Amino acid sequence: MTAVTLSQSSPGRRGDSFLSVQDLHISFQTEDGVVRAVDGLSFEVEKGTTLGIVGESGSGKSVTNLAILGLHNRDRTEIHGEIWFEDQELTGASRTALEGLRGNRIAMIFQDPLTSLSPYHTVGRQISEVYRKHKGASKKEARDRAIEMLERVGIPNARTRVDDYPHHFSGGMRQRVMIAMALVCDPDLLIADEPTTALDVTVQAQVLDLLKDLQQQTGTSIILITHDLGVIARTAHQVLVMYAGRAAERGTVREVLGEARHPYTWGLLSSVPRLGSPVDVPLTPIRGTPPSMLNPPSGCPFHPRCEYVRLAGPELCVHQRPDLSPATGHGDACYLTPKQKQETFAQIKGRP
Amino acid sequence: MLRFLTRRTLGAAVILLIIAAVTFFLFFAVPADPARLACGKVCPPETLAQARHNLGMDQPIFVQFVTWLAGIFVGRDYEGLGHCPAPCLGFSFVNHAPVFETITDRMPVTISLTLGSAVIFLLFGVGTGIVAALNQGKALDKIASVSSLIGASVQIYFVGTLAMYFLVYQWNIIARPRYVPFTDNPLEWAYGLLLPWVVLAIIFTANYTRMARSTMVEQLSEDYVRTARAKGMSARTVILRFALRGTLTPIATIFGIDVATLIGGAIITETTFSLQGIGRLSIQAVLNSDLPMLMATVLLAAAAIVVFNVIVDALYAVIDPRVRLS
Amino acid sequence: MSARTRSALAVLAIGSLALTAACSKGNAGGPPAGSTPSATTTNLTELFAPAKVTVGTADDSNGPAIPPEGVVKGGTVNMIDRDDYPHFDPGRVYDNVTGNFHELITRQLTGYKRVATGDYKVVGDLATDAGQSSEGGKTWKFTLKDGVKWQDGSAITSGDVKWTMERLFAPFITEGPPYIQQWLTQEDYKKAYGGPYSGKELDGIETPDDKTVVFHFTSPHADANYALAMTGYGIVPKAKDTKEKYDKEPVSSGPYIIAKHVVDKSMDLERNPNWDPASDPIRGAYPDKWHLEFGFQALQVTDRFIADTGDDKKTFSFYGHVAAERTQQVVENPDLQSRLLKQPSPYGDYYYFNLDRMKDVKIRQAINYAWPTQQIMQISGGPASSVINTTILNPSVSGWQDYDAFGMKQHPEGDIAKAKELLAQSSNPTPTIVYGYNDTPTEERITVAIKNQLAKAGVKVVAKPMNTKTWYDATGKVDNGLDMYWGGWGADWPTAATVFPVIFGPVHDGGYNQSHLKDPAITAEIKRIEALPDAAEANKAWGELDKKIMETVTPLVPALNNVGLQLHGSLVGGAEIDPISWVVSPNTIFVKQ
Repeated sequence: MTAVTLSQSSPGRRGDSFLSVQDLHISFQTEDGVVRAVDGLSFEVEKGTTLGIVGESGSGKSVTNLAILGLHNRDRTEIHGEIWFEDQELTGASRTALEGLRGNRIAMIFQDPLTSLSPYHTVGRQISEVYRKHKGASKKEARDRAIEMLERVGIPNARTRVDDYPHHFSGGMRQRVMIAMALVCDPDLLIADEPTTALDVTVQAQVLDLLKDLQQQTGTSIILITHDLGVIARTAHQVLVMYAGRAAERGTVREVLGEARHPYTWGLLSSVPRLGSPVDVPLTPIRGTPPSMLNPPSGCPFHPRCEYVRLAGPELCVHQRPDLSPATGHGDACYLTPKQKQETFAQIKGRP
Repeated sequence: MLRFLTRRTLGAAVILLIIAAVTFFLFFAVPADPARLACGKVCPPETLAQARHNLGMDQPIFVQFVTWLAGIFVGRDYEGLGHCPAPCLGFSFVNHAPVFETITDRMPVTISLTLGSAVIFLLFGVGTGIVAALNQGKALDKIASVSSLIGASVQIYFVGTLAMYFLVYQWNIIARPRYVPFTDNPLEWAYGLLLPWVVLAIIFTANYTRMARSTMVEQLSEDYVRTARAKGMSARTVILRFALRGTLTPIATIFGIDVATLIGGAIITETTFSLQGIGRLSIQAVLNSDLPMLMATVLLAAAAIVVFNVIVDALYAVIDPRVRLS
Repeated sequence: MSARTRSALAVLAIGSLALTAACSKGNAGGPPAGSTPSATTTNLTELFAPAKVTVGTADDSNGPAIPPEGVVKGGTVNMIDRDDYPHFDPGRVYDNVTGNFHELITRQLTGYKRVATGDYKVVGDLATDAGQSSEGGKTWKFTLKDGVKWQDGSAITSGDVKWTMERLFAPFITEGPPYIQQWLTQEDYKKAYGGPYSGKELDGIETPDDKTVVFHFTSPHADANYALAMTGYGIVPKAKDTKEKYDKEPVSSGPYIIAKHVVDKSMDLERNPNWDPASDPIRGAYPDKWHLEFGFQALQVTDRFIADTGDDKKTFSFYGHVAAERTQQVVENPDLQSRLLKQPSPYGDYYYFNLDRMKDVKIRQAINYAWPTQQIMQISGGPASSVINTTILNPSVSGWQDYDAFGMKQHPEGDIAKAKELLAQSSNPTPTIVYGYNDTPTEERITVAIKNQLAKAGVKVVAKPMNTKTWYDATGKVDNGLDMYWGGWGADWPTAATVFPVIFGPVHDGGYNQSHLKDPAITAEIKRIEALPDAAEANKAWGELDKKIMETVTPLVPALNNVGLQLHGSLVGGAEIDPISWVVSPNTIFVKQ
């Protein structure tokens, strides 16, 4: 399966990719100094597939996706690198070009549906205005479309609820509204930033299934940002593990979750409870805290928290930045040998 | 909505009644005796008694208050002054005209003054605030905050007197402010009040600039504003339809208070520009110990506050559908 | 208590009145606060020769009025002021500003005719002369002129005069002066008679024919013709009297008719076709039309006159004084001098001693010697806004005699040596006095000056600040706990008959004898002069009594006399502050072309 190819620092447009991010650097000016939020990130998304991006808060995953839509604060952000959407480069695109894409060909869903929907307007209006803006539809057409979308995302009595305000809906319903709004123009790419984090577990599953179903119907590509490997396992085809603004590991879901190679990925996997494991065995969270991006660590950014530095060789880990390798397929950025990775992961997996 | 209005109207009536009673009884705590003022410089006892009787002040205070209150609903007959039809707020001790007549005569001046300046300071203040918020930290923002600081620290009697001295008397750039009824000539009406409007607006604009700027900055970082941008809404739509909406609530609050206060009487402005409005009336009522006029102006000011409070509360519900009126 | 004893009232008491716009002194109990213009070398005391008021002859009572220099007839004159007039029924008018306005629409039996600057005569207005008195002043007879008419053309008759006096007893009239009513009946005159509306006539006024009216007073009143010149005795038509409504719809006997009046805003006057200048020795009535506007504060009035543009050139103010903050600018600007009117007030202002507590005349005189007149003048606005006064009577009062018992003009800074000398001879060379003052910033500074100055002479001053609003209640109490305090007095007509019998009259709470002077010799002399049938003789005697009281009893320190400063537009002619009413008189006003 080559639906998604991920590569590190490959210059130029990659021919057949639908979305291609190449050597992206994003930094912000803050009062305390320059924050390097994303530092040399590349990835690609193919049509009709889902890329899960996983990482702790501050790993640069949300920033990257805001940058795709140009929603970052332009006054204080510096961007280098390229973002290709089909044959359009987005980092240098004009404001109107971006406005034409947003909500139309690239849509976005956010984490908290309560705050992300305007409390001042009915859901119908919030959905239909996107349709009117991009499709030039009449008020009536747009309203019908909004009702249709609400039905599609499973809102009962959509015809009457279209005139309700967001605060009239429950959390899960609100997120369905968000999804309806995002999909109203049949976008080619949907960026879902932690779409289920704020929801109850049962509702989470419903929303994820909805996204999956809709993808099958429309062929929309999805970038799913999350810190939850369970969500990834359930929804994504490809996975990108991010740490400190860089890719730590990438590959298919099976590769990354089943044959994880990077100590950070191992850490993430160990901190996920599994239904099969006894309840009295404690979870093992990753020690330490995520690095400050004002002053990121030298070498491998994970080395201050890594348990395998001695095994891989401190000289390398501390001073030299590891590349993602191999350049395609299942890649990781770690100096451990493939054998060491395999053995260690087997050990971790074997823990009760 | 009906329940809301009923409840608030009843509440307002109670508040106004309390204010009326307090004003009435406080007035009698002041040593000035209106009857003595209505009696000549040389005032024999019987003449004083007669003056007291003519003013209805020979009754116990409580009876006077009830009589006054009843007059509002059923009118009242004054010995020596004639009939005062409902709503009767009494006859002025000074110009002997029915107070209600005088109030209704002065009201259009104050309302014109208030509305004109309110439109200016609301639009200009909020506009400047938005521009400042959108240009946060840039030169435009700094100019706006410095000028709003200056505007907030100057006083009407200073700016007003200065404006009159130079613009009107020295340079003859604009005619002396005066009130021409809107119905007589809308252009003259606006021209006659332009200077007071602008001067009054200078003082008030600052508040709105600062308020609009800070709430706008807050609003711009709201998630739903980001959503709107992510939907491809143009910058203008995002600001006007989404971000502005959230800034309206705090602005409606201070706007309601400001307009109510101004309706109650822009004393200094009206004095500075020789406009015969409610403000002048109230200050004269105090200086002249003119109880009926004083009662009327105090009540009017209180009623303005109460009414605008209800309006603002109702407005909240219009602005923000999450607000339920109760 | 005789009717006379209450014949006048403190200017200050009016101070708290609504109309008191009229009395600048009133509100503060002291000179108005203001900037301090640099001292000019001119002594304004010499500039202002006191006005002379005498009783004129029948010839003097003939119209027309003596025109001012350069007079032009016609045109419209504008008048701006702070307040509209509270009453249009003359019987309800007492204050000087409203009375001054009534010159335009109301006539009395008598009035003041301006003969020349500072020279006035009491003459017949509607009457052919200033009245014929007999029985030592108990009976006064007036004959109406031929051809005097109401605005509708009907004749003004003696019946109207009688009716006018009778209606003043009616319950609805409480605001006007009480003198004539009291002289005809008793002090509490409303008890004696309830007005003519019930059909009952008043004894004491005879109308033998349509032209003749005779007043029979209960006691002699040599200056009844002065009293009848008050607006309060302006004649009202019996046939058109609408009682309390008359206050809104007056009938004119004067040169103008109110064409339009918007309460508190504006008024327009047009000529009264039935007014004959030949019958009127007082009113010039030169402009064809008057446009009056109200609601202007001193500062705006001043700024408009300084700018002198457009219609403001044809504008003046009856009572709008130069604002305190512009005084210096106005006084020092040579271009404005030709349009600047200056006139000392006709009121008496005093620092009273409480004779119940300060019994030693030597101490009172020592304080007079030491008094810091010049410092007070500087603090209260400088020599441009006040003049030194050394007498009890105001110089504008008939019979006023100038004297300076304690060398105030010679030593305006105070004569400490002389004060010390007197104190050494007194019962207590280092007395302590309690001085009550009005709690305003200017008065506070003046009090500090007084305290420091008197300390130099050995007098310790305990200064007691007092509330402005309750000033008169506090100082008017007989047992007020104070040794010295400021007080003001305004004569109702320019003779001492409305001064001495009151300020040295009966002592009681709320009374006007604030020094509590109870000297039997002086009381007897006051009684004697009051009973004198000849006004000129009485005036002379009042003047002498003034000096005698000051030299022998010294019940007060004479305070500074405020100078009224008013500007007017450059095309307004004949503007003059009337020395009796202290308001710009409408009688000489004209519009230059």
